[in-house]
Amino acid sequence: MSTRVAARSAAPDAALPRAGVLADAALGVGILMRFILRRNWLRMLIWLIVLAGMVVLVIDSQRSLFPTQADRDAYAKVANTPAIAALTGLPYAAGTLGGILNIKLWMTVAIGLSFAVIFMVNRNGRAEEESGRTELLRSGVLGKNAYSLANWLVFSAFAVVVGLACSAAAISQGLPADGAFVMGGSFAGVGFVFVGVAAIAGQLARTSRGANALASTVLAVSYLIRAVADVNATDDRASWLTWLSPIGWGQQTRSYGENLWWPLLLCLAGGTLLCGIALALERRRDLGAGLLPDRVGPRTASALVRTQVGLSLRLQRGSLIGWTVGIIVGGLFFGGVAKAMVDLLKPDNPITQAFVGGSTNVLDGLLGFFLMANALLVAAFVLQSTDSIRAEEAAGRTEIQWSSAISRVRWAAARMVVPAVASLGLLALSGACVGLAYGAAVDDPSQSGRFALASLAYWPTALLMVGLVVFCAAVIPRAAAAVTWGIYGVVVILSMFGDLFGLPDWVTKNTPFTAVPRLDETFTILPLVVITVLVLVAGGVGLWVLQRRDMVSA
Amino acid sequence: MTTTFAVDVRGLTKRFGTTRALDGLNLQVEAGTVAGFLGPNGSGKSTTIRILLGLLRADGGEATLLGGDPWRDAVQLHRRIAYVAGDVTLWPNLTGGQTIDILGSLRGDLDRDRVDDFLARFDLDPTKKARSYSKGNRQKVALVAAFASRAELLFLDEPTNGLDPLMEGVFTECVAEARAEGRSVLLSSHIFAEVEKLCDTVTIIRDGRTVESGTLKDLRHLKRSTVTVTLDSDPAALEAIDGVHDLIADGGHTSFTVDSVALPRVLTALAALGPRDLVSTPPSLEELFLRHYGVHAAADDHEVARP
Repeated sequence: MSTRVAARSAAPDAALPRAGVLADAALGVGILMRFILRRNWLRMLIWLIVLAGMVVLVIDSQRSLFPTQADRDAYAKVANTPAIAALTGLPYAAGTLGGILNIKLWMTVAIGLSFAVIFMVNRNGRAEEESGRTELLRSGVLGKNAYSLANWLVFSAFAVVVGLACSAAAISQGLPADGAFVMGGSFAGVGFVFVGVAAIAGQLARTSRGANALASTVLAVSYLIRAVADVNATDDRASWLTWLSPIGWGQQTRSYGENLWWPLLLCLAGGTLLCGIALALERRRDLGAGLLPDRVGPRTASALVRTQVGLSLRLQRGSLIGWTVGIIVGGLFFGGVAKAMVDLLKPDNPITQAFVGGSTNVLDGLLGFFLMANALLVAAFVLQSTDSIRAEEAAGRTEIQWSSAISRVRWAAARMVVPAVASLGLLALSGACVGLAYGAAVDDPSQSGRFALASLAYWPTALLMVGLVVFCAAVIPRAAAAVTWGIYGVVVILSMFGDLFGLPDWVTKNTPFTAVPRLDETFTILPLVVITVLVLVAGGVGLWVLQRRDMVSA
Repeated sequence: MTTTFAVDVRGLTKRFGTTRALDGLNLQVEAGTVAGFLGPNGSGKSTTIRILLGLLRADGGEATLLGGDPWRDAVQLHRRIAYVAGDVTLWPNLTGGQTIDILGSLRGDLDRDRVDDFLARFDLDPTKKARSYSKGNRQKVALVAAFASRAELLFLDEPTNGLDPLMEGVFTECVAEARAEGRSVLLSSHIFAEVEKLCDTVTIIRDGRTVESGTLKDLRHLKRSTVTVTLDSDPAALEAIDGVHDLIADGGHTSFTVDSVALPRVLTALAALGPRDLVSTPPSLEELFLRHYGVHAAADDHEVARP
C-alpha cells in the first residue's frame, strides 16, 4: 500500500524543482516570520521601549546624582562592594558615566532581554505545538523545521534590535559611541544565546510551562555562576568561572572600559550551536512529543499534605521559596549598601529628610527605612498567600472542599496560618539579613539580632494584611483581590513617599507601617495594640460572614 | 409502612437576585435506593444539590439530609456523604492520587485498598498532575474519591459528562454496587438511558419546580403506551373507544396511543378485528421528559441564569 502511494506521488514530485534537504525543511520560513511578527509585534515593541527607555532614564538620573567628575570618583571608591559585585556584576570603570550605567543597569537589561526571548520563543514554539496549532500549519505545505527556524530567526533579530536600540539610547545621552555599541552588542549576544537555550528547552519539554522552567533554570544558573566569579575577583577581574556563563561572556566585553569585541564571538558561536542542536533534535522527534519524559508526582499524599495547614503549605511551596530568597537577597543588599549610601547622602538634602524621617542619626534612619521597605515586601507576600482563600473559591475548588467534613472557619483558618507564621519568619529573616550585611560593613556582627527584633515590630501589621484579605474575601468575594491590592498600593505610597508629597503628618505617620515604632524611634506599644485589635475585628468579622454566606460559584 | 428518606426536600425555594432558581421543589431519595434527577441546564439541579451540601442556604421550604439540617449540621453530615461535581476543578500542581487522599482524609475514611481498586477500574494514572488531566480524567478523580469512600449518600451531578462509553459502563457497575452495599445515590443526569438503567425513582424538574416524580414503573403506568398492530379489518372502530388517541392507519398497519386504564377495552375491541401482529411500547423516559419540555420550553430554560 505504502509503496503504491509513494510510486504515485513520485510523478508530481519529479515535476517540482529539486531543492536541498534543508531548503525543503525550511520551506515557508519567510511567510512564517511575517506571521510571527504579525502576532507578536506589540509584545516585542513594549519590551524594546522598556529596555531601551531604561537606558535613557538611568543615564539621566545618574548624571544628576553624580554631576561632577569628583562625585563620580568618590562613587568609584565605594562602588565595589561584594553585594554590588554579586547582584549586578563586578564594577569597573566606575568613575565614568558609562561605567556607572553598567553597574546600575547592565544586568537588569541582560536578564530582562533573556527572559523576554525565552518566554517569546516558547510562546511561539512549544506553546503553539502544545495547543495543536502547529499541527494545523505543519499539515499544510510547510517545511518540517520552518516554523522553528522562523521563530528563532525573529527573536534573534529582536535581540539584535534591542541591543542596537540600547546603543542608540546611550549615544543619544552623550555616551561614547564605541562603548555604547559594545554594550548593545553584549545585550544582543546574551539574548542570542538564550534564544538557543529556549530553542533546546522547547525540544526537551512537552509543555511550554516545562520549557520556560527549563530555560529559566539555565538563566538562573548562568547568573549564579557569574555571581560567584564576580565575588571571587582579583582587583577588577572576575575569576575564570565567568567564562562558563553566557552572561559572563557579555560582561567580559567590558563596555565603556576596554571595549572588547571578541567575547561576542563566544555568544555568536554558542547561540548558533544551540540552535543547531535544537534543529537536529527537532528532525528526530515526533510532533507534539518532548524528549524528556513528563514529570510524574507522588501516588499518595503524605501525612503532612493530608492536614489542612500542610495542604496550604504544599500549594504555596514554590511561592514561599521564591519570597524567602527574595527577602534574603533584598535584606543583604539593603544592609550592605546602607553605610555607603549614608556616606554619599547629604543629611540636609530634602529627599534624605523625607526617607529617613526626623532622625538625627541618618544611618539609623536609613536602616529603619529599609526595615519598613522589607516589611512592605513581606506584606505583599502575606496578601498573595492569604488570597488563596478567595482564589480557591473563584477557581471552583471550594465546592469539593466545603462539601467535605470541615467547617469553613477551620478551612479558612488553616489558610491563614501559613501567611501568619511565615510572615513572622520572613520579618525576622529580613531584619537579620539587613543586620548581617550592615554588621559586616561596620565590623559589628552583633547587629543581626537587634535588626531582627526591630523588624518583628511589623508582625501585627503583617497580620492586619491577613485580616484585611479574609474580610474582603468573605464580604466582597468577587472584588476582593482588586480591593486588597488597591489598599496595599495606597498604603505603600503613603508610607514610602507621603513626606515627599508634602502630606500632613497625621496621614503619613499613621499608616499601618509608619505607625510602627522604627529602629531609630522610642519603642511604644500602643500602635501595636491598636493594630492587633484591628486584626481581630477584621479577621473575626470575615470568618463570621464566610461561615454564613452562600458559596460563590465559579 | 415507614420509609426512611436519605434526602427529603419539600417546597424548597432559592433566589439569586431577581432570578428564582428554585420555586417549591420537592425531592425524595429513599434510603438504599438510586434516585434520578432530571432537568435541563439551568433548571435548578445543581442549585438543589448545593443547598443539600450546605454550600448555599435555602430561602424557604424544608430540607432534611440523613435526618439532619443540611445548613446547620453541615460538617457532621459531610462525614456521611460524598459528592462528584459536573465540572471537577482540582489543584493543578497536585497529582490525582494526592487529591484523592486529601479528599478521603477530609472525610476521615481514607481506605487506600479501596482507592487502588477503583483507580484500576477507572483506569486512572494517579501519578499525573491534575494540570495534565483531561476533563474526563478530572471527573474520574472525583468519582474514585467518592466511590472509595464509605459515605452513606452519594451526590453525583452529571458525573459521566466527560467519560467514554467504556468508563460509563464502569460507572454503571459502581453505582449498582453502591446500592448493593446499602448506600443511597442521587444521580443528576441528562442521559435517559443511564437513568433508566440505574434509577429506582425519578424526579423531573422544570424551572425550579418538580413536575414529575415516582418510580419509573409508576410514571409509565400513568402514561400512554404506543401500540402498533397489523390488522386485516378497518381500524376505524378503535377511534371510538375512550382513551385511544393519535390513531394513524396506514394500509394494514395501525398505530395509536392508549391510556393504561383503557387498555382492557382496547384489547377486547382489537381481538374482534383479527390482529396478525401487535407491539405495545411503554413510554420511554425521554418521552416522559419531553412531554414537559417541548422544543420551545427547552429553549426558554437556557435563558435562566445559573447561579
